[in-house]
Amino acid sequence: MRKGTRLRLVLRDLGSGFAFASMAVSGQLPVWSLALYGLALVLALMGKRPFAHRVKLTALLLLAVAVTLGTNVLAGSLNLVVAACAFAGLISAQRVLSTPDAATDGQVHLSGLLMVAGGAALSGELIYGLFLILFGVMASIALALGVVEAAVPEGEPVPVRSVMGPLARGVTFAVLGAVAFFIFFPRLNWNMIGPTASPGLGVATAGFSNSVRLGGSGTIKDNPRIVLRATLSPDPERDSLNAYWVGRTYDVFDGQEWSNARQASGPFEFMTTLRPGRDNLVHQRMELMPAYGARTLVALETPSRLGNAFINTQRGSRRTHISEQGGGEVRFRDTGISYTYEAYSLPPGSTGDEVRDLPPEEQDALLAIPDGLDVRVAQTAARVLNGEREPLAAAQKLSAWLQREYKYTLELGGDVADPVADFLFQRKEGHCEHFATALTLMLRTQGMRARLATGFFGGERVTGGYVIRAGDAHAWTHVFVPGQGFVTVDATPPSHRASQSSRVLEQLVSLYEAVESQWRNAVLEYNFRDQMDAVRTVFPRQRHKAKGDEAPSRTPPPRAWGAALLAAVAAYALWRTLSRYLARERPLEATRFADAVESMLASARVARADGETLEALDARLGKEGHPLASALAPVTRRYLEARFGGRPLRQGEAQQLLSTLRNAVAMEAQRLAREGTRPPRARAS
Amino acid sequence: MNQPARALSPVPSPANARSAMERIATELGRAVQGKPTQLQLVVTSLVAGGHVLLEDVPGVGKTTLAEALAKACGLSFARIQFTADLMPSDVLGAQVFHAQTATFQFRPGPLFRQLVLADELNRAPPRTQSALLEAMAQGQVSLDGATHALPGPFSVVATQNPVDFSGTYPLPDSQLDRFMVRMSLGHPTPEVEAGLLVTRDGTPPLDAVATVSGPEELASLRAYAAALRLDASVADYVVRLATATRSHGDLDRGASTRAVLALGAAARANALWEARDFVTPGDVRAVLVPCWSHRVLLRSAVQGVSARDEAAHLLEEIARKVPAPR
Repeated sequence: MRKGTRLRLVLRDLGSGFAFASMAVSGQLPVWSLALYGLALVLALMGKRPFAHRVKLTALLLLAVAVTLGTNVLAGSLNLVVAACAFAGLISAQRVLSTPDAATDGQVHLSGLLMVAGGAALSGELIYGLFLILFGVMASIALALGVVEAAVPEGEPVPVRSVMGPLARGVTFAVLGAVAFFIFFPRLNWNMIGPTASPGLGVATAGFSNSVRLGGSGTIKDNPRIVLRATLSPDPERDSLNAYWVGRTYDVFDGQEWSNARQASGPFEFMTTLRPGRDNLVHQRMELMPAYGARTLVALETPSRLGNAFINTQRGSRRTHISEQGGGEVRFRDTGISYTYEAYSLPPGSTGDEVRDLPPEEQDALLAIPDGLDVRVAQTAARVLNGEREPLAAAQKLSAWLQREYKYTLELGGDVADPVADFLFQRKEGHCEHFATALTLMLRTQGMRARLATGFFGGERVTGGYVIRAGDAHAWTHVFVPGQGFVTVDATPPSHRASQSSRVLEQLVSLYEAVESQWRNAVLEYNFRDQMDAVRTVFPRQRHKAKGDEAPSRTPPPRAWGAALLAAVAAYALWRTLSRYLARERPLEATRFADAVESMLASARVARADGETLEALDARLGKEGHPLASALAPVTRRYLEARFGGRPLRQGEAQQLLSTLRNAVAMEAQRLAREGTRPPRARAS
Repeated sequence: MNQPARALSPVPSPANARSAMERIATELGRAVQGKPTQLQLVVTSLVAGGHVLLEDVPGVGKTTLAEALAKACGLSFARIQFTADLMPSDVLGAQVFHAQTATFQFRPGPLFRQLVLADELNRAPPRTQSALLEAMAQGQVSLDGATHALPGPFSVVATQNPVDFSGTYPLPDSQLDRFMVRMSLGHPTPEVEAGLLVTRDGTPPLDAVATVSGPEELASLRAYAAALRLDASVADYVVRLATATRSHGDLDRGASTRAVLALGAAARANALWEARDFVTPGDVRAVLVPCWSHRVLLRSAVQGVSARDEAAHLLEEIARKVPAPR
C-alpha cells in the first residue's frame, strides 16, 4: 500500500472515531456498542480489516445488531434516538473494517456525518463541539488526499508532503469560515430532539427523588462539579459556610427505602411559603447549574419562602411556576438547563414547627418503625441513651456515639435484607445516609419523633457568594423537640460531611466549568437576539446628544467608514485571488512531468534551493558529481525538449522515464544503506 | 601545427554546432588558460553575431584572446590601438587620390577585417568612437556618399581599462548598448600563473593555437543559431525580466528593446553548447548578466568595477524574483 493511502485511511478512521466520540460523550450509548466500536477502530488503525470480502456475513451481523436495538426500543428500555445513534456507529465500524475502496470511503464519511448529527441530538456539550471540529478536519483531509491520490497514476508516489501545506491552510480557512458562518448566519435553535442533554463530565445529579434507597455505591461524594451558586444577604463573609442546604425530608422508612407518607402536589404559584417567616430571614439568590440535574429547589436550613423562579432553556429564559410536594420539597414546574430563584430561610436554630400543624399521617410516620427491624437497634439505643429522655440531648448523645464507633466509607457492599442492622452490627461502616437513617430510627425506637433530611452540606466561598458541588450531597436527621420544632442533628463524622474530591481536581473542574459556561452562552444559547446584539456592538446606534441645539450628524460614524473600508479591501482581495486562480495557466503535461520528477528527487532527499528549476538543479548536480546526476540528465533533457523544444512526450514515455529514475533513486538508497552513511545533502546554493 | 580549417558538415545539427564551438573554445584555451567560462562566453557572443567588450586591467591576456580567436576561427584580424589623436579615417579608411587615373579611390582602413581588436576604445575621442560603433551596428562604412560593406562575418572585440579613467572619453550608454556582452577575464589563478612561468619558453602563446574553423563555418553557425526555436513562454520570460529591470527601484534605466533582442540571440547561441535546437530559461539565465550588466543604468553614482558588480548583483536578484516558466 502506498504511503499516502495508508495516511488517508488512518485519517479516515480517526475521523470516524471522533464522530463516534461526539456521540459517546453524551454518556447515553449502550456500553456494548462503545466496546464494539472501540475494538473495530483499534483493528482498523492497526491496518487489520477482517471484514474485507465478507460483505454478506458481516451484513448479517449488522442485521442482528439492528434487531437487538429494535427490540430494546420496543421494550422501552432504549430511546429511539440513542438506538439510531448506536446503529450508525456500528455501521461505521463495519465499514472501516471492510475493503478500503472508493465506495467504502464514501460510506465511512457518510456514517461519520450521521454520527455527528446523532451527537448533536444527544448532547450539545463543549466536548461535542471539539469532536465535531476534529471529525471535520480529519475527514476533509482524508477526502482531499483521496482526490490527490486518484489523480496520481498507479505506481507513482502520492505527493503527500507537498499537498499537506495547502490542505492544512484550506482546512484552517474552512474551520474559520464555519465559525464565521455560525456567528452570522440566522439560525434556528438546535438540540431540540432527543433526550435532554446531560453534562459532559459524566452524569452528576443531586439525585432528588421520591425515595432514598440505602445501598449502591457513593460516587457522588467525589464529584467536584458545581451544582449550585448562592449569594447570601446578610453575607456571613466566611470562607467555609458549613451550612445545611435542605432539599426535602422523608418520614417513612420501610426497612430499605425512605419515602413520604403524604405524596401531595400543591398548587402552582410564583412564591411558595413553607412556614411563616420572622423579621431576621436570610435571603439567598440561588442559581442551579446544569450539573444539578433535578427540579428540586434547595435552600439554607430552614426554608421559609421560595419563589421568583426563572428557568433557562434553549429557547431563552423565562419565569416559571413552582409547587410544594410532599416532604417539604418545592419543585419547578418545567425542566430546563439551569434555574435561578430566591429563597428566604430562618436563621440557624430550630424550625418552630408544631406537631399538631402537621397532617395526621405525617405525625404518625415520625414515630413509625419498619416491620421486622432488628430488635438489637432498640436495645442498643436504650443502652447508649442510658435513661436520657430529652429528645435533643438524646439525639446528640446517639450522634456522638455513632461518630465514635462507626467508620465512614463510600465503598458499599450493595443491597442487603436489612441495611440498618447490616450497618450497625455487621459492617460497622457506611455513608451519610446510613448514619442519618440509623440515628433517626434509634430515636424513634425510644419514642422520639425524627425524620431524614437530604440536601447538601458545605458552601465554599467564591467571589461574593458560595458554591456547592455535587460531592457535597448529604443526608442528616431532624429531631423534633417540643416547643422548638425540628432541630438538625448530624450523625455523620464531621470530616466526611462535605465534598471529598481532591483540590487539583476541583480546580480543573472549575476551569472546565468556566469554559463550559462560555460554550453554553456563546454557542448553545446563541440565538438570533445575540446575533443582533453582536451586530449592534459592531455598529452602535448613534447616541443623540442631550443638548437640543446640536443637530444630529448626517454622516455615518467613523467606525462605519472603517468597517466599509475593511469590507472593500476584503472583497478586493477575494476578487484578486479568484481572478488569479481562474486565469492561472493549466499545467502542461511536461510541467506535470517535471513536478513528478521534482517530488521524486525531494523524496530522495536531494536538496533544492528556493526557486531552483529542474534545469538548474540538473546542472548543479552534474557539476557537483552527485550520484543521481547521470540518471537525472536524460530525464531533464526530455522535459526541456517537451516543454520548450516542441517535442511533446509520447504516450507512456513519462512513466517509463520516471520508472528508470525511480530505479536509480532506489539503487542509490541501497548503496547508501550498504555504506551506512546518510545521503549526501546537496548544497543548496 | 596549423591544420586546415574543417568545414561544417553539410547538414547543420545541434551536435555538429556544439563540436565546432567546442573546437574553437579548446584552441582558445591553449592561449588563455584557466578561463573556460569566459572563453565559452566569447564564443557564444561570436556565434550570436555580437561584439564583445572586455573590461580588464592591462596584462591579463585581452589582446591574446582576440588574436587567438581570430586565428582559431581563421578570420582576418586587425588590432587598432585607440589613442587620443586617432581620427575616424585612421579606422575606417580614406579616399586617396590616384594620380594616374586622376580619380579618388577608397583605401580601406584597418576596420576592414573579420575580427577587429579595438584596444583601449575609451581613449579615442568620441568622433572616432562613434565611427567605429556605427560600423559595428551597420556592418558597413559610409564615406563620402559611398557605402562599403565590411567583410563578413564581422566582429569587434573592444577593451577598456575599468580602473584608470584619466584622459579617457567614457563610452556613452547608447554606444555601450551595441556590445552584446561585457565581460572581464580577471587574473588567472595562482596555479595557472605559476604554470605560465614554467612552461612559457619564449614561444608566443598564439603558436599553440590551431585554426579549426573558417569564416564560412562561422557564418553558417550564426545562421543556424539565429533560427533556433525560442518558445513563447521563454520569450515571455525574457520580456518579464526586461520589465522587472525597468521598474526596479535601484535602476535609473532598464533594459532596452535592443537588450531584449540581444539576450534572445545570446541565449540561442548558448543553447548550442548543450547541443539543443531550442532555448530554455536556463540559457537565458546563463547569459543574462554578461548581456545586460552594461545596459542598465544604476541610480547610485558608483563607477567602474563596483558599478559592474552592483549591476550584476541587481540582475541576479531580479532573476531570482522573476519566476522562470516551467
